[in-house]
Amino acid sequence: MAQFNDMSSSGLEQLPTGERPRGGFAFDLCSRDQQIGTSIAAGGGRLPQAMKTGTTIVGVIYKDGVVLGADTRATGGTEVCDKNCEKIHYLSDNIYCCGAGTAADTEKTTEMISSQLELHRLNTGMQSRVVTAVTLLKRMLFRYQGHVSAALVLGGCDVNGSHLYHIYPHGSTGKLPYVTMGSGSLAAMSVFETDWKEDMEEAEAIEVVKQAIRAGIFNDLGSGSNVDVTVIRKPEVGGGTTVMRGFDTPNEVADLRAGYTRPKAIVVPRGATAVLSKEVSLSELVTVEDAPEPMAF
Amino acid sequence: MAEFGAYEVGGPAAAQPSVPPLPIWSSEGPSAGEFGKRDHIDHGVTENPYERRFSPYDFNGGTTLAVSGKDFVVVAGDTRMSSGYEIKSRNVPKLHQLTSKTVLAAAGCKTDVDTLTNLLRTRMQMYEHDCNKEMSTTAVAQMLSNTLYGRRFFPYYSFNVLAGLDEEGKGAVFSYDAIGSYERTPFSASGSGQSYLIPLMDNLVTFKTRLDPVPDMTVEEIVSIVKDAFVTAGERDIYTGDAVEIKVISATGVTTELFPLKKD
Repeated sequence: MAQFNDMSSSGLEQLPTGERPRGGFAFDLCSRDQQIGTSIAAGGGRLPQAMKTGTTIVGVIYKDGVVLGADTRATGGTEVCDKNCEKIHYLSDNIYCCGAGTAADTEKTTEMISSQLELHRLNTGMQSRVVTAVTLLKRMLFRYQGHVSAALVLGGCDVNGSHLYHIYPHGSTGKLPYVTMGSGSLAAMSVFETDWKEDMEEAEAIEVVKQAIRAGIFNDLGSGSNVDVTVIRKPEVGGGTTVMRGFDTPNEVADLRAGYTRPKAIVVPRGATAVLSKEVSLSELVTVEDAPEPMAF
Repeated sequence: MAEFGAYEVGGPAAAQPSVPPLPIWSSEGPSAGEFGKRDHIDHGVTENPYERRFSPYDFNGGTTLAVSGKDFVVVAGDTRMSSGYEIKSRNVPKLHQLTSKTVLAAAGCKTDVDTLTNLLRTRMQMYEHDCNKEMSTTAVAQMLSNTLYGRRFFPYYSFNVLAGLDEEGKGAVFSYDAIGSYERTPFSASGSGQSYLIPLMDNLVTFKTRLDPVPDMTVEEIVSIVKDAFVTAGERDIYTGDAVEIKVISATGVTTELFPLKKD
């Protein structure tokens, strides 16, 4: 296990000053950030907020594997920062992870564990197991005592079958047949508690996941836009993963815009923008020559 | 004398361990810590009782917009009412018709908006009995400002936009802050989506930073600008959506239209 933490002997390029690059979080800017925060607050402003994903993320176990689902809205406060972000992250070919909480935390944490899993596969020569991913994630999250705000739904299939876990920011985990996380988790769970059955077929499972995410999209203000679905199948039925980005798109704005005549004022004619000054210059990489004689046959 | 068992004031130094003073404010209580306030109320069972702060305000979301034309005015407000991350209703209008020529559009705390509207309507009725005529838009504007300032130190959490026809029949729009400062403007937007609408209106209605000439806007053109604006605000503001109610006030009366928006 020591090799996961020892980055000093890795093949990273040396910095110009010759010092070895160190992994992990850097805390040297913390005191300066705090001072900036106090001075901004004194002037009546606010520090920029971390982008959170609001979110509805779900997972179900079905007869032949696991189905994961997520919405695609990312919010910064009450503003929608990204209308179509990807919340289902790749950990390995047979393991995927949905993330809720602070967007940077879920993205970087899953990336880190994904690269650790790849190194582990090269070391062991075997396919990654879901418990390995869960253990790596929970050990890291507990170490940071909840300050890394990542709430995850992790699902995958390995030699021991199909597995589904939820992982909380402080490091606790649970292994369950169906899970939901995020601000829309209550809306999604109400759908699961009504419609989930054991040993569903693939089409049935995808439909339940779609309905659960839709419940989050329409009833939770932190979730919205589209439904992303990922299906991971057990090795017994051939293995394989299907990533369906934009599986359901019930919120296309083009349909809404088609419902009325667009105003004429949005078409800004040429010349409507004031030109303050004009400068034309030729780049020194371009040379101007007279047109050459055309080839004669 | 201590040997007769009398109580001693200020006993031996080591007799009692010193007790820290009981915390009064919730920021000093046992639940104060780097992770912020806890959300259960212990009622003094396992912890010392301490003050908890109750906030009298809640933000129910929403956006309103009003644009004045030559002899008409278009007022609009979305119909979503929310609290926190939940939607309480998809069909609660924000436009309140006060007279045949004046409409108040207000977002903010719904209970404050309703109370303010009731108060205005009561005072308008008294005015009609006293003066034997309907209140003009400019008179309503002044009365609203006075009413809001009356609560200067416990404000109505209401972001108001007043729209109507003035005495000359021209379109009039007044924007307000929470404590009654007001101004007549060509257009006004307020509520959670105002930051998305105001720059858009600057460009599409008053043609600021554009050199092409401003045409005389018709009702249809302004209504389509308003619809376009609300679709845009609905994309980026989580509190705006479901439907937008659009009222057009002109010499012939008030017409209402309900235009659906996205429900996510």
